[in-house]
Amino acid sequence: MHDDDQHDELITRIADELRTPVALDPGFDARVMAQVRRSARARWRLALRWWTEPRPLRVSPLGGLACAAGVAALFVVGLVSLRPASPSPIHEAVTPGKVIAAEPGTEMVQFVLVAPQASTVSVVGDFNDWDPSRTPLQAEAAGGVWSVNVPLRSGQHQYAFVVNGKEWRPDPTAPRAVTDDFGSPNSVIVVGSKST
Amino acid sequence: MRYLLFFAILVAAAPGLAAQDPRLEARLDPTTRAVVAALVDSARAEGLPTEPIVDKALEGTTKRASSDRIVAALRTLSTDLRLARGALGRTAPDGDVIAGASAIRAGASPETLERINGVRGKAGISVPLAVFADLVARGVPADTASTVILHLAEGGASDADYAGLERSVTRDIGAGAPPGASAAIRARVTTGDVGAATQGGPPPGVPVSPKDPKGKPSNRP
Repeated sequence: MHDDDQHDELITRIADELRTPVALDPGFDARVMAQVRRSARARWRLALRWWTEPRPLRVSPLGGLACAAGVAALFVVGLVSLRPASPSPIHEAVTPGKVIAAEPGTEMVQFVLVAPQASTVSVVGDFNDWDPSRTPLQAEAAGGVWSVNVPLRSGQHQYAFVVNGKEWRPDPTAPRAVTDDFGSPNSVIVVGSKST
Repeated sequence: MRYLLFFAILVAAAPGLAAQDPRLEARLDPTTRAVVAALVDSARAEGLPTEPIVDKALEGTTKRASSDRIVAALRTLSTDLRLARGALGRTAPDGDVIAGASAIRAGASPETLERINGVRGKAGISVPLAVFADLVARGVPADTASTVILHLAEGGASDADYAGLERSVTRDIGAGAPPGASAAIRARVTTGDVGAATQGGPPPGVPVSPKDPKGKPSNRP
């Protein structure tokens, strides 16, 4: 019984001691956080060292050659795809009567064809990839007059009209191209010299 | 083995990727497309502009020309571009080379291109050569047109002067003047070789109207 009392007293003393508030050093938090930050910086240094520290790399000659060829091929393909287009074709047809300012280096050109029997007329040329669907002409109210305004870059252009989707016609008001490579003559227009 | 396969794929794919043009992909049959792609690659390797070659191929396919005919036209065009590049030099802009090729096709000699280029310098030759091609298209003989364009260049003519010459010749031809005579005389007027009074006269080769009592020109351009 006496031993039990002594044991209880000991426990009580220990418990009281543990319940006593511990006075921490005011700089304790700061020191802990500084240590944490140092640890984080050390991880960065390790990662940086992994990238910057020289190390031996084992590559077979064939592997090295393949990698070099791959880089060279990608470089060539990249250069080709980044090359600026030479004369960039103009893709938009312009509604007649609509006032649109031509870009610098271009002039607005009106193409006109009198074709009373036509149901569709389009102009094709080196300015629209010779695509009949790109630049349709609009019919005027009467008289079978078809027209469209197209911005063209300075220089010489060749073109022709396509009537009803199949009949090729040169412009009767413009000179014809000297050469005819494909059996249907083109017309010629010179753009850009007026404003210079 | 993996490296070897990788190498083979890249080497095989690189030229094909370089030659791809979506316009050709969409509109040319595979056989013609392969030949055109080869011609485009060859032109690119020589430093020639490739857009006119693609454009000519598209013109041919839109006009439903045969593959042989398209390829023949492209070969001719490549030759003209090569001649123009040779006459104008490696540093000439693509636009000048294209205009030069058109002029050669219309009958100008590479020597004429070289001389005009030398005289015009930084003023460029696109407009003079475009006017040359236009004059020939209007019926002016190629040698006369060459002489006229070169004469204007040596006289210090501007692009506006060339445009004025073209308009005058067009009016003269519309009034019935012989194209060659009109071009020759208008060029002399432009460079000041002919008196100013001639500018208001009738087009070259067109007689004065007999109804005019004083013999003054009645059909001024």
